[in-house]
Amino acid sequence: MLFFTLLRHRRLIVFLTLGIVALAVLTAQVRTPERRRIGWAGAAVELAVAPAAAVLSRLSGSVAGAWSLLTEIGTLRTENARLRAEVGRLREENARLRPAAQENARLRALLGFKEQQPYQTAAGRVIGRDPSDWFSTVLVDRGTFGGVRRNDPVVTSDGLVGHVIEAGPTWSRVLLLPDPRSAVGVLVVRSREAGVVEGLGQPLLRVKYLARDADVQPGDEVVTSGLGQIYPPSLVVGSVVQVARAAGDMFEEATVRPSADLTHLEEVLVIIRGGESVAR
Amino acid sequence: MTRVVAYGLLATASLALEVTWLAVFRPWGAVIDPLLVLVVSAGLLRGPEVGAAAGAAAGWMQDVATGVPLGLGMLGNLCAGFGAGLGEGRIYLEDAWLPGIAAFALTVVRNAVWIGAGHLVGLVDAPVAEALRVTLLSACYNGCIAIPMFQWLRRLDGRLERLSDRPR
Repeated sequence: MLFFTLLRHRRLIVFLTLGIVALAVLTAQVRTPERRRIGWAGAAVELAVAPAAAVLSRLSGSVAGAWSLLTEIGTLRTENARLRAEVGRLREENARLRPAAQENARLRALLGFKEQQPYQTAAGRVIGRDPSDWFSTVLVDRGTFGGVRRNDPVVTSDGLVGHVIEAGPTWSRVLLLPDPRSAVGVLVVRSREAGVVEGLGQPLLRVKYLARDADVQPGDEVVTSGLGQIYPPSLVVGSVVQVARAAGDMFEEATVRPSADLTHLEEVLVIIRGGESVAR
Repeated sequence: MTRVVAYGLLATASLALEVTWLAVFRPWGAVIDPLLVLVVSAGLLRGPEVGAAAGAAAGWMQDVATGVPLGLGMLGNLCAGFGAGLGEGRIYLEDAWLPGIAAFALTVVRNAVWIGAGHLVGLVDAPVAEALRVTLLSACYNGCIAIPMFQWLRRLDGRLERLSDRPR
């Protein structure tokens, strides 16, 4: 009897069971990315997606170049044939060299920054991004084979980017500062006031838990405090753009603009901190 | 088994596309989601159980590959796949527009569940107007790509079925 009842409501039972599983998975790790475990099946998915993403990511540069060349040729059609060929050739050359020059400048800056660092680092290229509007992670083409491990901090020459939340053999996923799951202990350089920078799912960050009478002003530089075990001290996080002091609040809050351009990340440095006792 | 492998490969290709080109190419700030169209198509063609299972599996893969909290996409796509499955036998599949309309409606459902669940756990604090704008735009894009994609997937599904029915 029970069997037939179950059979009759099979579709609802499948839906509810899967719904409960999804809710259980969600609530188990939603506020703590450190507890995010994708398991062997998730690693297999990443293993399949990462190489395809790497190929598509590299192809996108060529496609964009070819597309811009096509549109430029369309506008030049009315011009003199010799001039058109000359302009086409120069533009093609320019289009080919400009990304190389920009990449060169970025890599030089990154190399200079890397040489200044007392830590061992591994350079990686961003091969995938989270397309959703309210979370911020990127996929980097450097993993455990390159020495990268969970909770390793990630930087660019401009400043802190985030930290690794998953590491596979040839890839790692980086939780960026604007992600709502991100929280970093920080200091205001000028006044040494301490707080916690949290992501809001938007380009700007929020510093919470500043003392009520904290001396913080727009333009102040904010760096990591070194508390919390993941981030080493004195990595540049950003600069204060606004300070909020509401009457009756126990703490002061500030809005910070990240120093690193997190919307156009292409190359990053992962700080490898093998000897430290952080849960990984 | 052949069908599962084929759909798995399609889901992987869609995901790779979503985390690379489609993460950058976002007309007016909204995302095109071919994986959701795949889930809706599976539901429309195979019914609510398969739709729900395909939705949950694809959503979980999407959570893994995009780095959002695990379970969020799983829940959203599960509802979309199940909803699409309820239309099996009710939607006239020969009509070119109906799968597009179904994809539009189920994108709205998927995003509502996704944003609602994210809000409930305190992670997504989206302004209502912005959430509505992004959702409706995504629904339009998905509706548009669903029209050719569904017909193509339907033909593929038919071929896979014939392949699995062939006597060994």
